[in-house]
Amino acid sequence: MRTNLRIYLAGVKTALASRMAYRGDYFLSILIMLLVEMAAPLITILIYENGASFPGWSMYEALLIQGVFLLGKGIAYPFFFGIVWNTVERVRGGAFDLLMIKPKSALFMAIVTGFDAEDLGKLIGGATLFTLALRRLPPPGVGEWLQFLALFLITLLTLFAYGVTLAGIGIVWIGNIRVYDIFNSLTNFGLYPAAIFSKPVQTVITGIIPIAILGSVPATVLLGRPSPGTWRAVGVSFLFLAGSLSFWRAMLKKYTSAGG
Amino acid sequence: MLITVEDLKKVYKSYQRGSSFGETLKSLFVRKPIYIEALKGISFRIDQGELVGFLGPNGAGKSTTLKILTGILYPSSGKVDIMGYTPWRDRKKYVAKIGAVFGQKSQLLWDIPPIDAFYLNKAIYAIPEREFKRTMEYMVELLDVEGQIRKPTRQLSLGERMKCEFIMAMLHKPEIVFLDEPTIGLDVIAKDKIRKFILKMNQRGVTFILTTHDLGDIEHLAKRVIVINHGELVFDDALPALRRQLGEKKIIAVTTIHPLPALDRPGITVTNRISTYQVELELDLTAFPLNEFIALVNKSSTIRDLSLREPQIEDVIKVLYQAR
Repeated sequence: MRTNLRIYLAGVKTALASRMAYRGDYFLSILIMLLVEMAAPLITILIYENGASFPGWSMYEALLIQGVFLLGKGIAYPFFFGIVWNTVERVRGGAFDLLMIKPKSALFMAIVTGFDAEDLGKLIGGATLFTLALRRLPPPGVGEWLQFLALFLITLLTLFAYGVTLAGIGIVWIGNIRVYDIFNSLTNFGLYPAAIFSKPVQTVITGIIPIAILGSVPATVLLGRPSPGTWRAVGVSFLFLAGSLSFWRAMLKKYTSAGG
Repeated sequence: MLITVEDLKKVYKSYQRGSSFGETLKSLFVRKPIYIEALKGISFRIDQGELVGFLGPNGAGKSTTLKILTGILYPSSGKVDIMGYTPWRDRKKYVAKIGAVFGQKSQLLWDIPPIDAFYLNKAIYAIPEREFKRTMEYMVELLDVEGQIRKPTRQLSLGERMKCEFIMAMLHKPEIVFLDEPTIGLDVIAKDKIRKFILKMNQRGVTFILTTHDLGDIEHLAKRVIVINHGELVFDDALPALRRQLGEKKIIAVTTIHPLPALDRPGITVTNRISTYQVELELDLTAFPLNEFIALVNKSSTIRDLSLREPQIEDVIKVLYQAR
Protein backbone atom coordinates (compact mmCIF):
# COMPACT_ATOMS: atom_id res chain seq x y z
CA MET A 1 0.00 0.00 0.00
CA ARG A 2 2.80 2.37 1.00
CA THR A 3 4.77 1.52 -2.13
CA ASN A 4 1.69 2.09 -4.29
CA LEU A 5 1.09 5.47 -2.65
CA ARG A 6 4.73 6.38 -3.31
CA ILE A 7 4.35 5.35 -6.96
CA TYR A 8 1.12 7.31 -7.26
CA LEU A 9 2.73 10.44 -5.80
CA ALA A 10 5.69 10.06 -8.16
CA GLY A 11 3.16 9.86 -11.02
CA VAL A 12 1.39 13.00 -9.80
CA LYS A 13 4.73 14.80 -9.50
CA THR A 14 5.76 13.97 -13.07
CA ALA A 15 2.30 14.85 -14.43
CA LEU A 16 2.40 18.23 -12.67
CA ALA A 17 5.95 18.86 -13.86
CA SER A 18 4.90 18.00 -17.44
CA ARG A 19 1.91 20.32 -17.25
CA MET A 20 3.99 23.13 -15.76
CA ALA A 21 6.04 23.17 -18.95
CA TYR A 22 3.10 25.13 -20.40
CA ARG A 23 2.05 27.17 -17.38
CA GLY A 24 -0.04 29.82 -19.15
CA ASP A 25 -2.15 27.23 -20.93
CA TYR A 26 -2.53 25.29 -17.69
CA PHE A 27 -3.96 28.16 -15.66
CA LEU A 28 -6.24 29.17 -18.52
CA SER A 29 -7.51 25.58 -18.77
CA ILE A 30 -8.25 25.50 -15.03
CA LEU A 31 -10.21 28.75 -15.33
CA ILE A 32 -12.23 27.49 -18.30
CA MET A 33 -12.91 24.20 -16.51
CA LEU A 34 -14.15 26.13 -13.47
CA LEU A 35 -16.53 28.23 -15.59
CA VAL A 36 -17.88 25.20 -17.46
CA GLU A 37 -18.51 23.33 -14.21
CA MET A 38 -20.43 26.28 -12.82
CA ALA A 39 -22.99 26.19 -15.67
CA ALA A 40 -25.43 23.78 -13.95
CA PRO A 41 -25.46 25.61 -10.57
CA LEU A 42 -25.92 28.95 -12.36
CA ILE A 43 -28.97 27.55 -14.19
CA THR A 44 -30.32 26.32 -10.84
CA ILE A 45 -29.87 29.80 -9.35
CA LEU A 46 -31.60 31.34 -12.39
CA ILE A 47 -34.54 28.92 -12.01
CA TYR A 48 -35.01 29.83 -8.35
CA GLU A 49 -34.40 33.57 -8.90
CA ASN A 50 -37.28 33.52 -11.39
CA GLY A 51 -39.73 32.03 -8.93
CA ALA A 52 -39.57 28.42 -10.20
CA SER A 53 -38.07 25.53 -8.19
CA PHE A 54 -37.42 21.80 -7.95
CA PRO A 55 -40.58 20.85 -6.03
CA GLY A 56 -39.83 20.17 -2.38
CA TRP A 57 -36.25 21.43 -2.49
CA SER A 58 -34.91 24.85 -1.53
CA MET A 59 -32.31 26.51 -3.74
CA TYR A 60 -29.44 25.76 -1.33
CA GLU A 61 -30.54 22.15 -0.93
CA ALA A 62 -30.52 21.76 -4.73
CA LEU A 63 -27.13 23.50 -4.87
CA LEU A 64 -25.75 21.19 -2.19
CA ILE A 65 -26.76 18.16 -4.28
CA GLN A 66 -24.98 19.71 -7.25
CA GLY A 67 -22.02 20.59 -5.02
CA VAL A 68 -21.69 16.95 -3.91
CA PHE A 69 -21.98 15.77 -7.53
CA LEU A 70 -19.31 18.22 -8.73
CA LEU A 71 -17.07 17.51 -5.73
CA GLY A 72 -17.22 13.80 -6.53
CA LYS A 73 -16.27 14.42 -10.14
CA GLY A 74 -13.75 17.04 -8.97
CA ILE A 75 -11.91 14.37 -6.98
CA ALA A 76 -12.40 11.60 -9.52
CA TYR A 77 -11.35 13.43 -12.68
CA PRO A 78 -7.88 14.62 -11.71
CA PHE A 79 -6.95 11.72 -9.44
CA PHE A 80 -8.21 8.57 -11.17
CA PHE A 81 -10.67 9.21 -13.96
CA GLY A 82 -7.72 9.94 -16.27
CA ILE A 83 -7.60 6.17 -16.84
CA VAL A 84 -10.23 6.69 -19.53
CA TRP A 85 -8.32 9.07 -21.81
CA ASN A 86 -4.97 7.60 -20.83
CA THR A 87 -6.11 4.11 -21.84
CA VAL A 88 -7.93 5.21 -25.00
CA GLU A 89 -4.94 7.24 -26.24
CA ARG A 90 -2.33 4.68 -25.27
CA VAL A 91 -4.21 1.79 -26.86
CA ARG A 92 -4.67 3.75 -30.08
CA GLY A 93 -1.00 4.78 -30.23
CA GLY A 94 0.43 1.48 -28.99
CA ALA A 95 1.90 2.99 -25.81
CA PHE A 96 -0.38 0.89 -23.60
CA ASP A 97 2.32 -1.80 -23.97
CA LEU A 98 4.56 0.35 -21.79
CA LEU A 99 2.11 0.03 -18.88
CA MET A 100 2.04 -3.74 -19.31
CA ILE A 101 5.79 -4.09 -18.82
CA LYS A 102 5.67 -2.53 -15.35
CA PRO A 103 5.45 -4.82 -12.31
CA LYS A 104 2.10 -3.40 -11.23
CA SER A 105 -1.46 -3.92 -12.43
CA ALA A 106 -2.13 -2.24 -15.76
CA LEU A 107 -5.10 -0.49 -14.17
CA PHE A 108 -2.96 0.97 -11.42
CA MET A 109 -0.35 2.08 -13.94
CA ALA A 110 -3.09 3.71 -16.02
CA ILE A 111 -4.12 5.65 -12.90
CA VAL A 112 -0.53 6.60 -12.02
CA THR A 113 0.23 7.88 -15.51
CA GLY A 114 -3.24 9.35 -16.00
CA PHE A 115 -3.24 12.08 -13.34
CA ASP A 116 -4.91 15.07 -14.96
CA ALA A 117 -3.71 18.30 -13.38
CA GLU A 118 -6.13 20.37 -15.48
CA ASP A 119 -9.15 18.76 -13.86
CA LEU A 120 -8.16 20.29 -10.53
CA GLY A 121 -10.41 23.13 -11.78
CA LYS A 122 -13.38 20.78 -11.31
CA LEU A 123 -12.26 20.07 -7.75
CA ILE A 124 -12.00 23.77 -6.92
CA GLY A 125 -15.47 24.37 -8.42
CA GLY A 126 -17.08 21.43 -6.62
CA ALA A 127 -15.48 22.24 -3.26
CA THR A 128 -16.49 25.91 -3.53
CA LEU A 129 -20.12 25.15 -4.39
CA PHE A 130 -20.38 22.46 -1.69
CA THR A 131 -19.00 24.81 0.99
CA LEU A 132 -21.11 27.81 -0.07
CA ALA A 133 -24.36 25.79 -0.18
CA LEU A 134 -23.62 24.06 3.13
CA ARG A 135 -23.04 27.40 4.89
CA ARG A 136 -26.57 28.50 3.97
CA LEU A 137 -28.17 25.35 5.41
CA PRO A 138 -28.67 24.15 8.99
CA PRO A 139 -25.42 22.45 10.09
CA PRO A 140 -25.61 18.64 9.87
CA GLY A 141 -24.96 16.53 12.97
CA VAL A 142 -21.99 14.19 13.50
CA GLY A 143 -24.08 11.13 12.54
CA GLU A 144 -25.18 12.77 9.30
CA TRP A 145 -21.57 13.68 8.48
CA LEU A 146 -20.40 10.12 9.09
CA GLN A 147 -23.17 8.68 6.93
CA PHE A 148 -22.40 11.24 4.26
CA LEU A 149 -18.68 10.42 4.27
CA ALA A 150 -19.41 6.71 3.96
CA LEU A 151 -21.81 7.30 1.06
CA PHE A 152 -19.47 9.80 -0.58
CA LEU A 153 -16.75 7.17 -0.52
CA ILE A 154 -19.19 4.93 -2.43
CA THR A 155 -19.80 7.86 -4.83
CA LEU A 156 -16.06 7.89 -5.56
CA LEU A 157 -15.95 4.10 -5.94
CA THR A 158 -18.87 4.31 -8.37
CA LEU A 159 -17.09 6.97 -10.41
CA PHE A 160 -14.03 4.74 -10.35
CA ALA A 161 -16.18 1.88 -11.66
CA TYR A 162 -17.45 4.12 -14.47
CA GLY A 163 -13.86 5.05 -15.32
CA VAL A 164 -12.76 1.40 -15.33
CA THR A 165 -15.71 0.44 -17.56
CA LEU A 166 -15.05 3.24 -20.05
CA ALA A 167 -11.33 2.46 -20.09
CA GLY A 168 -12.11 -1.24 -20.60
CA ILE A 169 -14.30 -0.36 -23.57
CA GLY A 170 -11.38 1.73 -24.90
CA ILE A 171 -9.16 -1.38 -24.99
CA VAL A 172 -11.30 -3.21 -27.53
CA TRP A 173 -13.38 -0.43 -29.06
CA ILE A 174 -10.33 1.51 -30.10
CA GLY A 175 -10.48 5.29 -30.27
CA ASN A 176 -14.15 5.52 -29.38
CA ILE A 177 -14.60 8.51 -27.12
CA ARG A 178 -18.34 8.90 -27.73
CA VAL A 179 -19.05 6.46 -24.91
CA TYR A 180 -17.68 9.16 -22.65
CA ASP A 181 -20.33 11.60 -23.94
CA ILE A 182 -23.02 9.01 -23.22
CA PHE A 183 -21.60 8.60 -19.71
CA ASN A 184 -21.66 12.36 -19.19
CA SER A 185 -25.23 12.77 -20.38
CA LEU A 186 -26.46 9.87 -18.26
CA THR A 187 -24.71 10.92 -15.08
CA ASN A 188 -26.00 14.48 -15.40
CA PHE A 189 -29.24 13.11 -13.93
CA GLY A 190 -27.22 12.97 -10.71
CA LEU A 191 -27.08 16.76 -10.61
CA TYR A 192 -30.69 16.93 -9.44
CA PRO A 193 -32.64 15.54 -6.48
CA ALA A 194 -33.72 12.02 -7.47
CA ALA A 195 -37.16 12.69 -6.00
CA ILE A 196 -38.04 15.26 -8.71
CA PHE A 197 -38.07 12.53 -11.38
CA SER A 198 -40.96 10.17 -12.16
CA LYS A 199 -41.04 6.88 -10.25
CA PRO A 200 -39.69 4.74 -13.14
CA VAL A 201 -36.76 7.15 -13.67
CA GLN A 202 -36.08 7.16 -9.93
CA THR A 203 -35.99 3.35 -9.97
CA VAL A 204 -33.58 3.31 -12.88
CA ILE A 205 -31.14 5.91 -11.51
CA THR A 206 -31.20 4.53 -7.99
CA GLY A 207 -31.60 0.80 -8.32
CA ILE A 208 -30.41 -0.14 -11.81
CA ILE A 209 -27.80 2.32 -13.08
CA PRO A 210 -25.86 3.92 -10.22
CA ILE A 211 -26.50 7.60 -10.94
CA ALA A 212 -28.35 8.94 -7.89
CA ILE A 213 -25.42 7.76 -5.74
CA LEU A 214 -23.26 10.35 -7.52
CA GLY A 215 -25.04 13.32 -5.89
CA SER A 216 -28.54 12.97 -4.60
CA VAL A 217 -28.06 9.93 -2.31
CA PRO A 218 -25.10 11.21 -0.24
CA ALA A 219 -26.32 14.84 -0.27
CA THR A 220 -29.81 14.01 1.01
CA VAL A 221 -28.26 12.15 3.94
CA LEU A 222 -26.31 15.29 4.81
CA LEU A 223 -29.56 17.25 4.56
CA GLY A 224 -31.20 14.89 7.03
CA ARG A 225 -33.76 13.60 4.49
CA PRO A 226 -32.31 10.36 3.07
CA SER A 227 -33.52 9.32 -0.38
CA PRO A 228 -35.74 6.27 -0.58
CA GLY A 229 -33.77 3.31 -1.89
CA THR A 230 -30.42 4.43 -0.43
CA TRP A 231 -29.40 0.89 0.52
CA ARG A 232 -30.40 -0.38 -2.89
CA ALA A 233 -28.26 2.34 -4.50
CA VAL A 234 -25.31 1.26 -2.32
CA GLY A 235 -25.78 -2.39 -3.30
CA VAL A 236 -25.99 -1.55 -6.99
CA SER A 237 -22.81 0.54 -6.72
CA PHE A 238 -20.85 -2.36 -5.24
CA LEU A 239 -22.18 -4.73 -7.87
CA PHE A 240 -21.23 -2.23 -10.55
CA LEU A 241 -17.72 -1.90 -9.10
CA ALA A 242 -17.22 -5.67 -9.05
CA GLY A 243 -18.61 -5.94 -12.57
CA SER A 244 -16.39 -3.16 -13.89
CA LEU A 245 -13.24 -4.82 -12.53
CA SER A 246 -14.18 -8.17 -14.10
CA PHE A 247 -14.96 -6.36 -17.33
CA TRP A 248 -11.54 -4.66 -17.29
CA ARG A 249 -9.76 -7.98 -16.77
CA ALA A 250 -11.71 -9.56 -19.62
CA MET A 251 -10.91 -6.64 -21.93
CA LEU A 252 -7.23 -6.76 -20.97
CA LYS A 253 -7.10 -10.36 -22.15
CA LYS A 254 -8.42 -9.20 -25.49
CA TYR A 255 -5.77 -6.48 -25.84
CA THR A 256 -4.08 -6.82 -29.21
CA SER A 257 -1.52 -3.98 -29.04
CA ALA A 258 -0.84 -1.81 -32.07
CA GLY A 259 1.51 -2.31 -34.99
CA GLY A 260 4.89 -3.96 -34.89
CA MET B 1 17.39 -22.97 -19.66
CA LEU B 2 16.30 -19.35 -19.19
CA ILE B 3 13.63 -19.17 -21.90
CA THR B 4 11.61 -22.07 -23.27
CA VAL B 5 9.01 -21.46 -25.97
CA GLU B 6 6.96 -24.40 -27.20
CA ASP B 7 4.49 -24.45 -30.07
CA LEU B 8 3.50 -20.81 -29.61
CA LYS B 9 0.49 -19.74 -31.65
CA LYS B 10 -1.34 -16.47 -31.94
CA VAL B 11 -4.41 -15.82 -34.04
CA TYR B 12 -5.77 -12.28 -34.39
CA LYS B 13 -9.34 -11.53 -35.31
CA SER B 14 -9.71 -8.66 -37.73
CA TYR B 15 -12.45 -7.35 -39.97
CA GLN B 16 -12.45 -7.07 -43.71
CA ARG B 17 -14.19 -4.40 -45.72
CA GLY B 18 -13.86 -3.02 -49.20
CA SER B 19 -12.72 0.46 -50.07
CA SER B 20 -15.74 1.66 -52.06
CA PHE B 21 -18.34 4.00 -50.54
CA GLY B 22 -21.01 1.28 -50.61
CA GLU B 23 -18.74 -1.24 -48.90
CA THR B 24 -17.75 1.32 -46.28
CA LEU B 25 -21.42 2.05 -45.59
CA LYS B 26 -22.19 -1.66 -45.39
CA SER B 27 -19.33 -2.18 -42.92
CA LEU B 28 -21.13 0.13 -40.48
CA PHE B 29 -23.68 -2.64 -39.99
CA VAL B 30 -22.09 -5.89 -41.18
CA ARG B 31 -18.42 -6.75 -40.93
CA LYS B 32 -16.78 -9.89 -42.20
CA PRO B 33 -14.36 -11.29 -39.64
CA ILE B 34 -11.03 -12.63 -40.81
CA TYR B 35 -8.55 -14.58 -38.74
CA ILE B 36 -4.86 -13.88 -39.10
CA GLU B 37 -2.37 -16.50 -37.95
CA ALA B 38 0.47 -14.30 -36.70
CA LEU B 39 2.34 -17.24 -35.13
CA LYS B 40 1.93 -20.78 -36.37
CA GLY B 41 3.56 -22.73 -33.57
CA ILE B 42 7.11 -21.59 -32.98
CA SER B 43 9.48 -23.22 -30.51
CA PHE B 44 12.94 -22.24 -29.31
CA ARG B 45 15.12 -22.11 -26.20
CA ILE B 46 17.49 -19.44 -24.98
CA ASP B 47 20.19 -19.83 -22.35
CA GLN B 48 21.19 -17.30 -19.74
CA GLY B 49 23.67 -14.71 -21.01
CA GLU B 50 22.87 -15.23 -24.68
CA LEU B 51 22.49 -12.34 -27.09
CA VAL B 52 20.00 -13.47 -29.68
CA GLY B 53 19.03 -11.60 -32.80
CA PHE B 54 15.42 -11.94 -33.81
CA LEU B 55 14.90 -11.28 -37.50
CA GLY B 56 12.00 -11.31 -39.89
CA PRO B 57 10.34 -9.14 -42.51
CA ASN B 58 7.54 -6.76 -41.57
CA GLY B 59 4.47 -8.70 -40.43
CA ALA B 60 6.45 -11.92 -39.93
CA GLY B 61 5.36 -12.28 -36.30
CA LYS B 62 8.49 -11.22 -34.47
CA SER B 63 6.87 -8.30 -32.62
CA THR B 64 3.95 -10.55 -31.66
CA THR B 65 6.47 -13.05 -30.26
CA LEU B 66 8.23 -10.29 -28.36
CA LYS B 67 4.93 -8.99 -26.97
CA ILE B 68 3.97 -12.45 -25.76
CA LEU B 69 7.41 -12.94 -24.21
CA THR B 70 7.11 -9.61 -22.37
CA GLY B 71 3.64 -10.48 -21.01
CA ILE B 72 1.85 -7.84 -23.09
CA LEU B 73 -0.20 -10.27 -25.18
CA TYR B 74 -1.91 -13.54 -24.43
CA PRO B 75 -1.10 -16.26 -26.98
CA SER B 76 -3.85 -18.37 -28.57
CA SER B 77 -2.01 -21.51 -27.47
CA GLY B 78 1.45 -22.78 -26.62
CA LYS B 79 3.79 -22.79 -23.67
CA VAL B 80 6.31 -20.20 -22.55
CA ASP B 81 8.52 -20.57 -19.51
CA ILE B 82 10.87 -17.73 -18.67
CA MET B 83 12.77 -17.97 -15.38
CA GLY B 84 9.96 -20.22 -14.14
CA TYR B 85 7.23 -17.74 -15.05
CA THR B 86 4.51 -17.77 -17.68
CA PRO B 87 4.67 -14.15 -18.85
CA TRP B 88 0.96 -13.44 -19.34
CA ARG B 89 -0.12 -15.36 -16.24
CA ASP B 90 2.58 -14.19 -13.79
CA ARG B 91 2.99 -10.81 -15.48
CA LYS B 92 3.56 -8.57 -12.45
CA LYS B 93 6.21 -10.78 -10.81
CA TYR B 94 7.78 -11.63 -14.13
CA VAL B 95 8.17 -8.13 -15.61
CA ALA B 96 10.00 -6.99 -12.45
CA LYS B 97 12.89 -9.13 -13.74
CA ILE B 98 12.90 -8.01 -17.34
CA GLY B 99 13.49 -4.78 -19.19
CA ALA B 100 12.34 -3.62 -22.60
CA VAL B 101 13.35 -0.92 -25.04
CA PHE B 102 10.98 -0.17 -27.87
CA GLY B 103 12.65 1.96 -30.52
CA GLN B 104 9.34 3.45 -31.52
CA LYS B 105 7.64 3.81 -28.14
CA SER B 106 9.21 6.04 -25.55
CA GLN B 107 9.13 5.43 -21.83
CA LEU B 108 10.47 8.93 -21.23
CA LEU B 109 8.19 11.89 -20.64
CA TRP B 110 8.33 14.41 -23.43
CA ASP B 111 8.20 17.69 -21.50
CA ILE B 112 10.33 16.84 -18.51
CA PRO B 113 13.94 15.66 -18.13
CA PRO B 114 14.77 11.93 -18.32
CA ILE B 115 15.93 11.99 -14.71
CA ASP B 116 12.33 12.61 -13.60
CA ALA B 117 11.22 9.54 -15.54
CA PHE B 118 14.10 7.59 -13.93
CA TYR B 119 12.75 8.56 -10.51
CA LEU B 120 9.28 7.38 -11.52
CA ASN B 121 10.80 3.99 -12.37
CA LYS B 122 12.67 4.03 -9.07
CA ALA B 123 9.30 4.25 -7.31
CA ILE B 124 7.63 1.64 -9.54
CA TYR B 125 10.41 -0.93 -9.06
CA ALA B 126 11.02 0.10 -5.42
CA ILE B 127 14.74 0.54 -6.03
CA PRO B 128 16.63 1.61 -2.89
CA GLU B 129 18.06 5.15 -3.17
CA ARG B 130 21.75 4.16 -2.97
CA GLU B 131 21.38 1.35 -5.49
CA PHE B 132 19.40 3.60 -7.81
CA LYS B 133 22.04 6.32 -7.75
CA ARG B 134 24.88 3.86 -8.23
CA THR B 135 23.21 2.17 -11.21
CA MET B 136 22.13 5.44 -12.77
CA GLU B 137 25.57 7.03 -12.44
CA TYR B 138 27.24 3.92 -13.91
CA MET B 139 24.95 3.87 -16.94
CA VAL B 140 24.99 7.62 -17.45
CA GLU B 141 28.79 7.47 -17.58
CA LEU B 142 28.83 4.42 -19.85
CA LEU B 143 26.42 6.05 -22.30
CA ASP B 144 27.96 9.50 -21.90
CA VAL B 145 24.74 11.41 -21.17
CA GLU B 146 25.75 13.35 -18.02
CA GLY B 147 24.76 16.64 -19.62
CA GLN B 148 21.50 15.38 -21.08
CA ILE B 149 19.54 13.71 -18.29
CA ARG B 150 18.53 17.03 -16.75
CA LYS B 151 17.33 18.64 -19.98
CA PRO B 152 13.68 18.28 -21.09
CA THR B 153 13.36 15.16 -23.23
CA ARG B 154 11.99 17.16 -26.16
CA GLN B 155 15.32 19.05 -26.37
CA LEU B 156 17.37 15.86 -26.78
CA SER B 157 18.53 14.34 -30.04
CA LEU B 158 17.17 10.93 -31.06
CA GLY B 159 20.46 9.28 -30.07
CA GLU B 160 20.48 10.93 -26.65
CA ARG B 161 16.87 9.95 -26.09
CA MET B 162 17.56 6.34 -27.02
CA LYS B 163 20.49 6.20 -24.60
CA CYS B 164 18.17 7.47 -21.87
CA GLU B 165 15.60 4.82 -22.87
CA PHE B 166 18.26 2.20 -22.17
CA ILE B 167 18.94 3.64 -18.73
CA MET B 168 15.19 3.72 -18.04
CA ALA B 169 14.86 0.06 -19.02
CA MET B 170 17.83 -1.14 -17.01
CA LEU B 171 17.73 0.80 -13.75
CA HIS B 172 16.13 -2.13 -11.95
CA LYS B 173 18.89 -4.47 -13.17
CA PRO B 174 16.79 -6.84 -15.28
CA GLU B 175 18.04 -10.34 -16.04
CA ILE B 176 16.60 -10.30 -19.55
CA VAL B 177 16.22 -7.27 -21.81
CA PHE B 178 14.02 -7.25 -24.90
CA LEU B 179 15.07 -4.76 -27.53
CA ASP B 180 12.70 -3.87 -30.34
CA GLU B 181 14.60 -1.94 -33.02
CA PRO B 182 16.73 -0.03 -30.52
CA THR B 183 18.93 1.67 -33.10
CA ILE B 184 16.24 2.77 -35.54
CA GLY B 185 17.07 6.14 -37.06
CA LEU B 186 20.33 6.60 -35.17
CA ASP B 187 23.60 7.90 -36.62
CA VAL B 188 26.68 5.68 -36.68
CA ILE B 189 28.22 7.22 -33.56
CA ALA B 190 25.08 6.76 -31.47
CA LYS B 191 24.62 3.22 -32.83
CA ASP B 192 28.18 2.35 -31.91
CA LYS B 193 27.78 3.69 -28.38
CA ILE B 194 24.56 1.75 -27.85
CA ARG B 195 26.00 -1.45 -29.31
CA LYS B 196 29.01 -1.17 -26.98
CA PHE B 197 26.65 -0.62 -24.06
CA ILE B 198 24.64 -3.75 -24.96
CA LEU B 199 27.83 -5.81 -25.26
CA LYS B 200 29.09 -4.51 -21.91
CA MET B 201 25.81 -5.39 -20.21
CA ASN B 202 25.80 -8.79 -21.91
CA GLN B 203 29.29 -9.45 -20.53
CA ARG B 204 27.83 -8.75 -17.09
CA GLY B 205 25.36 -11.62 -17.60
CA VAL B 206 22.29 -9.83 -18.96
CA THR B 207 20.46 -11.84 -21.62
CA PHE B 208 19.39 -9.79 -24.63
CA ILE B 209 16.79 -10.57 -27.25
CA LEU B 210 17.15 -8.15 -30.06
CA THR B 211 14.58 -7.52 -32.76
CA THR B 212 15.87 -5.39 -35.57
CA HIS B 213 15.90 -4.69 -39.27
CA ASP B 214 19.42 -3.30 -38.97
CA LEU B 215 21.69 -6.19 -39.93
CA GLY B 216 24.61 -4.18 -38.61
CA ASP B 217 23.16 -4.70 -35.13
CA ILE B 218 23.02 -8.43 -35.77
CA GLU B 219 26.58 -8.61 -37.11
CA HIS B 220 27.97 -6.52 -34.25
CA LEU B 221 25.97 -8.03 -31.43
CA ALA B 222 24.24 -11.34 -32.01
CA LYS B 223 25.98 -14.65 -31.60
CA ARG B 224 22.81 -16.50 -32.48
CA VAL B 225 20.05 -15.62 -34.92
CA ILE B 226 16.42 -16.66 -35.01
CA VAL B 227 14.54 -15.84 -38.21
CA ILE B 228 10.75 -15.83 -38.32
CA ASN B 229 8.79 -15.60 -41.54
CA HIS B 230 5.04 -15.94 -42.09
CA GLY B 231 4.64 -16.85 -38.42
CA GLU B 232 7.06 -19.77 -38.63
CA LEU B 233 10.58 -20.22 -37.40
CA VAL B 234 12.73 -20.61 -40.51
CA PHE B 235 16.21 -20.41 -39.01
CA ASP B 236 17.73 -20.81 -35.56
CA ASP B 237 21.49 -21.12 -35.33
CA ALA B 238 24.76 -19.25 -34.86
CA LEU B 239 25.59 -16.31 -37.11
CA PRO B 240 28.28 -18.13 -39.21
CA ALA B 241 25.70 -20.87 -39.95
CA LEU B 242 23.38 -18.18 -41.26
CA ARG B 243 26.06 -17.16 -43.76
CA ARG B 244 26.45 -20.77 -44.85
CA GLN B 245 22.73 -20.92 -45.66
CA LEU B 246 23.48 -19.85 -49.19
CA GLY B 247 25.96 -22.67 -49.62
CA GLU B 248 29.68 -22.35 -50.44
CA LYS B 249 29.47 -19.09 -52.31
CA LYS B 250 31.81 -16.18 -52.95
CA ILE B 251 31.07 -12.76 -54.29
CA ILE B 252 33.70 -11.89 -56.91
CA ALA B 253 34.54 -8.65 -58.71
CA VAL B 254 36.88 -9.16 -61.64
CA THR B 255 38.52 -6.75 -64.10
CA THR B 256 40.41 -8.01 -67.16
CA ILE B 257 42.79 -6.60 -69.76
CA HIS B 258 40.98 -8.22 -72.73
CA PRO B 259 37.18 -8.67 -73.07
CA LEU B 260 35.71 -11.21 -70.64
CA PRO B 261 34.76 -14.70 -71.86
CA ALA B 262 31.14 -15.94 -71.82
CA LEU B 263 30.21 -16.60 -68.20
CA ASP B 264 26.86 -18.34 -68.61
CA ARG B 265 27.87 -21.56 -66.90
CA PRO B 266 26.40 -23.56 -64.03
CA GLY B 267 27.67 -22.14 -60.72
CA ILE B 268 28.26 -18.62 -62.03
CA THR B 269 25.60 -15.93 -61.54
CA VAL B 270 26.49 -12.55 -62.97
CA THR B 271 24.99 -9.90 -60.70
CA ASN B 272 26.40 -6.79 -62.36
CA ARG B 273 28.04 -6.54 -65.78
CA ILE B 274 29.79 -3.17 -65.58
CA SER B 275 31.57 -3.39 -68.97
CA THR B 276 33.05 -6.00 -71.27
CA TYR B 277 36.16 -5.89 -69.03
CA GLN B 278 34.53 -5.68 -65.62
CA VAL B 279 31.91 -7.84 -63.91
CA GLU B 280 30.54 -8.71 -60.48
CA LEU B 281 29.28 -12.24 -59.93
CA GLU B 282 28.34 -14.89 -57.41
CA LEU B 283 30.32 -18.10 -57.62
CA ASP B 284 28.99 -21.35 -56.23
CA LEU B 285 32.18 -23.18 -55.28
CA THR B 286 30.52 -26.56 -55.13
CA ALA B 287 29.56 -26.29 -58.81
CA PHE B 288 32.50 -24.26 -60.08
CA PRO B 289 35.75 -24.30 -58.05
CA LEU B 290 37.62 -21.02 -57.74
CA ASN B 291 40.80 -22.23 -59.49
CA GLU B 292 38.72 -23.33 -62.48
CA PHE B 293 37.03 -19.93 -62.59
CA ILE B 294 40.40 -18.12 -62.54
CA ALA B 295 41.71 -20.46 -65.26
CA LEU B 296 38.59 -19.80 -67.37
CA VAL B 297 39.00 -16.02 -67.19
CA ASN B 298 42.79 -16.07 -67.66
CA LYS B 299 42.52 -18.35 -70.68
CA SER B 300 41.04 -15.72 -72.96
CA SER B 301 41.46 -12.45 -71.07
CA THR B 302 44.20 -11.75 -68.51
CA ILE B 303 43.03 -10.78 -65.02
CA ARG B 304 44.00 -7.22 -64.05
CA ASP B 305 42.22 -7.17 -60.69
CA LEU B 306 40.16 -9.64 -58.68
CA SER B 307 38.47 -9.23 -55.31
CA LEU B 308 36.73 -11.90 -53.29
CA ARG B 309 34.34 -11.62 -50.39
CA GLU B 310 31.80 -13.65 -48.41
CA PRO B 311 28.14 -13.12 -49.31
CA GLN B 312 26.68 -10.35 -47.16
CA ILE B 313 24.32 -11.38 -44.40
CA GLU B 314 21.75 -9.23 -46.16
CA ASP B 315 21.84 -11.60 -49.16
CA VAL B 316 21.17 -14.57 -46.94
CA ILE B 317 18.36 -12.82 -45.12
CA LYS B 318 16.78 -11.83 -48.43
CA VAL B 319 16.65 -15.48 -49.48
CA LEU B 320 15.12 -16.52 -46.14
CA TYR B 321 12.54 -13.72 -46.27
CA GLN B 322 11.52 -14.52 -49.82
CA ALA B 323 11.03 -18.22 -49.10
CA ARG B 324 7.37 -19.11 -48.66
